[in-house]
Amino acid sequence: MNTPNLKFKLVAVLLSSCLALASCSGGGSSRKKTELQGQSSESVDFAGSWELDYSQSDNIQTKLDSMARELRRDAERRAQGSNQGAISVGGSGYNSAPSVIGLARMSDLITRSPLLKIEQSEHEIKVKREENFALGCEFYAGQYSSIETPLGTEICGWNGRQMVFKILLPEGLSIQHVMTLASYGGKLNIATTVVSDQVSYPFTLNRVYNRFVPGASGYSCTVTLTKGKVCTTKAK
Amino acid sequence: MHHKSQMSGLAQRLLRLCLYPLSLVFFIGSVQAAEGGMALHLSQQSTEKVALDVGLVIFNPGIPPDASTHSKLGIFPEIRKSEAKFMPVILRQVLINSGAWGVVRVLPEPLEASELLLTGKILQSNGLRLAIQVQVHDASGRRWLDKVYVDETTASDYPVTGGGDPYMDLYRQIANELLTLKQSLSGKQQQDIRNVALMRYASSLSPEVFGDYLARTEGGMYKLARLPADGDPMMARVDRIRNQEYLFIDTVDEQYAKLYEEMAPTYNLWREYGREQALYTATYQDRVAQRERRGRRGTYAAMEQTYDAYKWSKIHEQDLDDLALGFNNEVAPTVMEVSGKVFRLNGTLDSQYTEWRNILREIFVLETGLTP
Repeated sequence: MNTPNLKFKLVAVLLSSCLALASCSGGGSSRKKTELQGQSSESVDFAGSWELDYSQSDNIQTKLDSMARELRRDAERRAQGSNQGAISVGGSGYNSAPSVIGLARMSDLITRSPLLKIEQSEHEIKVKREENFALGCEFYAGQYSSIETPLGTEICGWNGRQMVFKILLPEGLSIQHVMTLASYGGKLNIATTVVSDQVSYPFTLNRVYNRFVPGASGYSCTVTLTKGKVCTTKAK
Repeated sequence: MHHKSQMSGLAQRLLRLCLYPLSLVFFIGSVQAAEGGMALHLSQQSTEKVALDVGLVIFNPGIPPDASTHSKLGIFPEIRKSEAKFMPVILRQVLINSGAWGVVRVLPEPLEASELLLTGKILQSNGLRLAIQVQVHDASGRRWLDKVYVDETTASDYPVTGGGDPYMDLYRQIANELLTLKQSLSGKQQQDIRNVALMRYASSLSPEVFGDYLARTEGGMYKLARLPADGDPMMARVDRIRNQEYLFIDTVDEQYAKLYEEMAPTYNLWREYGREQALYTATYQDRVAQRERRGRRGTYAAMEQTYDAYKWSKIHEQDLDDLALGFNNEVAPTVMEVSGKVFRLNGTLDSQYTEWRNILREIFVLETGLTP
């Protein structure tokens, strides 16, 4: 975790004073329905190598503070409406502090890849993420892609100029990545939204990546079956 | 089953020539000891004079044209294309080992004048299960086999060692059934098949000269109407042209054998990983049900556990996907010599074969002055 745990603990105290109230509201944010398509309405090519721009990406602490404020307002409205003011410090269950902080930490865990390599063809895109599995999508006219396994369900497709990946996991956890390319092609934003059925708000983190030319580091690696990962000093 | 000696057609013919006198003296045992569950049946008269030649066409890879279905079906197209060439090479070696056949060749495309022609379509192929649709017919058009063969692996089939194959039982079953069918034919019936094959080839070179030698039954099967006289110079030319075609096929055959040798270690590893992954996925729900929860639902620990399970299954799956890209199936140019002239052929093996057949027909026309 990049952000010190101490900060999370401070926020936890703040959250715990209001989340129990918010939990009674049962309200979730209104979520815009994404209509996925098999093909982009316009030609968008994400292919290339990308490195994370920390300065332009969301600060997880700021986002968590913002979420805490939202939940506190919800809790206050709820308390005024019902005249109930139960406070649960370090409570458990819906909108509890461990659940909200857990959601934030999960968002950080999922989006921490500093480097991406994206391959794209007419009907397929593969987003290779350092230290994580690749996001892949096959897209054909008139259909979005969906793959179901015992471990989870993947749905992907185009939403206008954006490529969307949704991953539905067991136990009420779901993840959505929305990729958007800057008009000049040099920057890529990935908005990752993590949803838990134990928290009324989704948690969204924006990660901004800058395009770079690979091979400048002086070596390149490929995976082989018999020798594993083989690296060479000869740049590709 | 061992494949250390992948014999070319030429080598097979030489071996038969050397062994023929011995066949008058020796009979080979009827059953070969098997590594797997199924034993390979051996011919009692392995080097008989009228042994039929067998052509194994590279298999239809069975790749659906709709590319959007490949992922769901677990089909890696490049690997399937390689398997379509890999599997006939194994079957060829099993047929050779049975000692029941003449020259066994792997063909880039169907040669209808083959004495016995086997075609196959891969229906399913992964580390757990192999299913192939096999059809066999002889030169007269008689259907020998039309059947789906299926085999499944067990843990003891991996790792693959000593040139074996996890689906060896399937290949042996095909060979055994072909042997049984062959044994049901008389020597004369087999000789007729050989003659029909020769005349069908001759007819394909010059229908106007050789067309009358063949007739068709009501069922559409070929039968001999008559045979050319012994020493017919036109038949000598046909025989020479056919041998030139076989020479090309034997050269191609060596390339398939080479592909097999180069591909086998990687491919066997791939299948082993594939089996592990399929079992991992199949038993996932059981393991999920049995595992201890790291934390209450909605907590970071619980979510991390859920995400990690998915993440590692994906990484495992994608490793296999990346490794599939390692299959490079380049085709080396083939150099052939005929009538003192060297031809260099390029492109895929089937296009080279078509080119070569066209050259042979041009030569036949030039030599005979006949129109094709």
